[in-house]
Amino acid sequence: MRATFRLASLCSLLAWSAAVFAQDNQQVTLPNSPEDLARGKKLFLGSCTYCHGPTGDGGKGADLSRQELVRAKTDGDLARIIEVGIPGTEMPSAWHMTRREVTQVAAYVRTLAKVDIQAVAGDVNKGRGLYAKNGCANCHTLKVDGVFTGGLMGPDLASIGLKRNGAHIRESITDPAASLPEGFVPAKVVTQAGRTISGRITQEDTFAIVVRDAAGNNHAMLKKDVKSITREPKSSPMPSFKDKLSAVELDDLVAYLASLKEQL
Amino acid sequence: MKIFLTLMLGAALSAQNVPYQRILNAAKEPGNWLTYSGNYNGQRHSALDLINTGNVKRLKVAWVHNAGGTESYQATPIVVDGVMFLTEGPNVVKSIDTRTGTLLWRYEKKIPSDLRLCCGRPNRGVAILGDTVYYGSIDAHIIALDARTGRLKWDVEMADYKLGYSSTVAPLAVKDKIILGVAGGEFGIRGFIDAYNAKTGKRDWRFYTVPGPGDPDFGTWEGDSWKIGSGSVWTTGSFDPESNATIWGIGNPGPDWNGDVRKGDNLYSCSFLAIDVDTGKKKWHFQFTPHDTHDWDATQVPVLIDGKFRGAPMKMVATANRNAFFYVLDRNNGKFLAGKPFVKQTWAKGLDDSGRPVVIPGTEPTEEGNLVWPSLGGGTNWASPSYSPQTNLFYAPVREQGAYYFKGEADYKPGVIFNGGGQRMKPDEQPYGAIRALDPENGNLKWEFRTQNPLNVGVLTTRGNLLFSGTGQGDFFALNATTGELLWRFRTNGGLNAAPMTYAVDGKQYVAVPIGQALFVFELMD
Repeated sequence: MRATFRLASLCSLLAWSAAVFAQDNQQVTLPNSPEDLARGKKLFLGSCTYCHGPTGDGGKGADLSRQELVRAKTDGDLARIIEVGIPGTEMPSAWHMTRREVTQVAAYVRTLAKVDIQAVAGDVNKGRGLYAKNGCANCHTLKVDGVFTGGLMGPDLASIGLKRNGAHIRESITDPAASLPEGFVPAKVVTQAGRTISGRITQEDTFAIVVRDAAGNNHAMLKKDVKSITREPKSSPMPSFKDKLSAVELDDLVAYLASLKEQL
Repeated sequence: MKIFLTLMLGAALSAQNVPYQRILNAAKEPGNWLTYSGNYNGQRHSALDLINTGNVKRLKVAWVHNAGGTESYQATPIVVDGVMFLTEGPNVVKSIDTRTGTLLWRYEKKIPSDLRLCCGRPNRGVAILGDTVYYGSIDAHIIALDARTGRLKWDVEMADYKLGYSSTVAPLAVKDKIILGVAGGEFGIRGFIDAYNAKTGKRDWRFYTVPGPGDPDFGTWEGDSWKIGSGSVWTTGSFDPESNATIWGIGNPGPDWNGDVRKGDNLYSCSFLAIDVDTGKKKWHFQFTPHDTHDWDATQVPVLIDGKFRGAPMKMVATANRNAFFYVLDRNNGKFLAGKPFVKQTWAKGLDDSGRPVVIPGTEPTEEGNLVWPSLGGGTNWASPSYSPQTNLFYAPVREQGAYYFKGEADYKPGVIFNGGGQRMKPDEQPYGAIRALDPENGNLKWEFRTQNPLNVGVLTTRGNLLFSGTGQGDFFALNATTGELLWRFRTNGGLNAAPMTYAVDGKQYVAVPIGQALFVFELMD
């Protein structure tokens, strides 16, 4: 095969993924034989579990065990998402699968749906109050009265309920560094002039780097003017709320965040 | 140098005419760039030194030509007596006056809307012979155009695009023949290299890159798998006038990642093939990756080096292969001389005395995914390497990256993707790239220039002791070819996939390279 590059043409791999479901709007019928489902499970375990978990209940990726998948209400939508990914998100295309393999994976994903055992026990309204009281908005964005508002340092939470299950949200509150979202590794850059800039690296190439600080300011520098770059992949600027919230309060905050399902 | 420039000024007044003898002796007129790699030896090295380590900091844009397309811009321009010829994917050929940057003519071929392609619709450029420009089209035709006007001379179909055949390679003009091959290695094609009569378009010979019944190497494919064995040809070969051999790199076997359906070594996939230009018969082959299951095409430009090997004069062909090993072969017979990895690799213990890899068991793709270095992008890919006789170094753009390889279904249907699996990047790895300077006699690393991302950008070296290359993020740069020191760079923020070239006109040297959707031409500011 040719180049994989243009980083995208990089693998141009992506080019052939445009294959099918994305182009024809025909009705998609998923296979349902035990052989197809077994094959779909095998493919799912190989390609999908890193983000969606071995049982599909999420993690870095969306919770696929819920009854209704917001972006994939129809089987055609589900097959298309598997095939081409979701641009602008961490969901890649499964360009390496044939059309039949895509439908086998989709069929297996449908079997993951169960009664919403991931439903969170807490009180959404109390959780909303805790979100405000604990200063979460200083770093995170939500949609409030029709406007996206809040801090820029942390991940946007407006649609976190669509992306992460309750268990993952809970872990992020009690152990923020356990699973950092892509692009949120804290970094410290010291310039040749002796200036220190802390934040996260939003752009980096051979010759330049951009650090976004807690206030949202972009600091663009040539690497030749940089003395050191320190990344801390095992840490998070977010404090742990493990000992700051009671078990009930934690349930409430998780319930509130899990209810945030702004369609983007 | 002065003599050559004077001669060139005279030539500039005449119409383009490039007989074979001119290409054969291209080294004598470094102001022109007469083949994809500059001349037949594939070195992508220029004897021009007007731009050099002492003045390269004064390099500025002379002019820019906007392609206006959306395809990855991969062509190397040809320049003859002040006139440039290049292609833009998917189907445009242009001629540009280099003094003014003005378009002289534009040819656009009508192409079908139902092409079968794996990887975009790029084109890597033209060949010139006599007064005619030749290119291979994305729908697998070979086209001949009048060099002065762009008028179509002839158009010959090489193969049926509906079966997945296409052509993206810049042809090579040798003697009275135009030589090129077909892409389509993800569609179960049966690859070939063709030679066409330059005047008439009549096919002189075809060499199938997957041998058929009667060929001694036919048994390297199980059952009927040879019929759909791929072995595509999409990077321009070299030519050795002394042995009359044209040497080409051959692509992956098909299906790419599922080798169960094509047991055997699968010759001549992932090989260099040396073919007699007159007869179209094979002189030798060397297979880098027998029974490849990682998509490690050998589609790298073969670099011909006349030098010394262990003290004795040797006619060599060198390559940094996609499989992560650097090789040097005896180009008279294809025998292995030396080889070693030039990037991280986890699939072979090493190479045996014949150059065959000693494969580590359990490194094939699996249904669950198998982590192997290098990734399918390879230790390097199709981007041109360079060799400088001045430094006696081989320069490769490299990729340090691993991937999980998957084996999938492999049911062949004509004209439908037939890859049998794929790869997923290792999520927690930060891959990177580099320009690496290697000793061509043994592959030992002399220096490297690190880049943030794996490279797939060609390399040019010049007698000014300069190395030009860039990054996929749109930085074009010049390094000291002896030390790897960064001397100059220019930021465009456009993707860079192509290989730079250089030429001179009216006593001034220029460097040209397509970046993003535009051709950039650089000159020294006074």
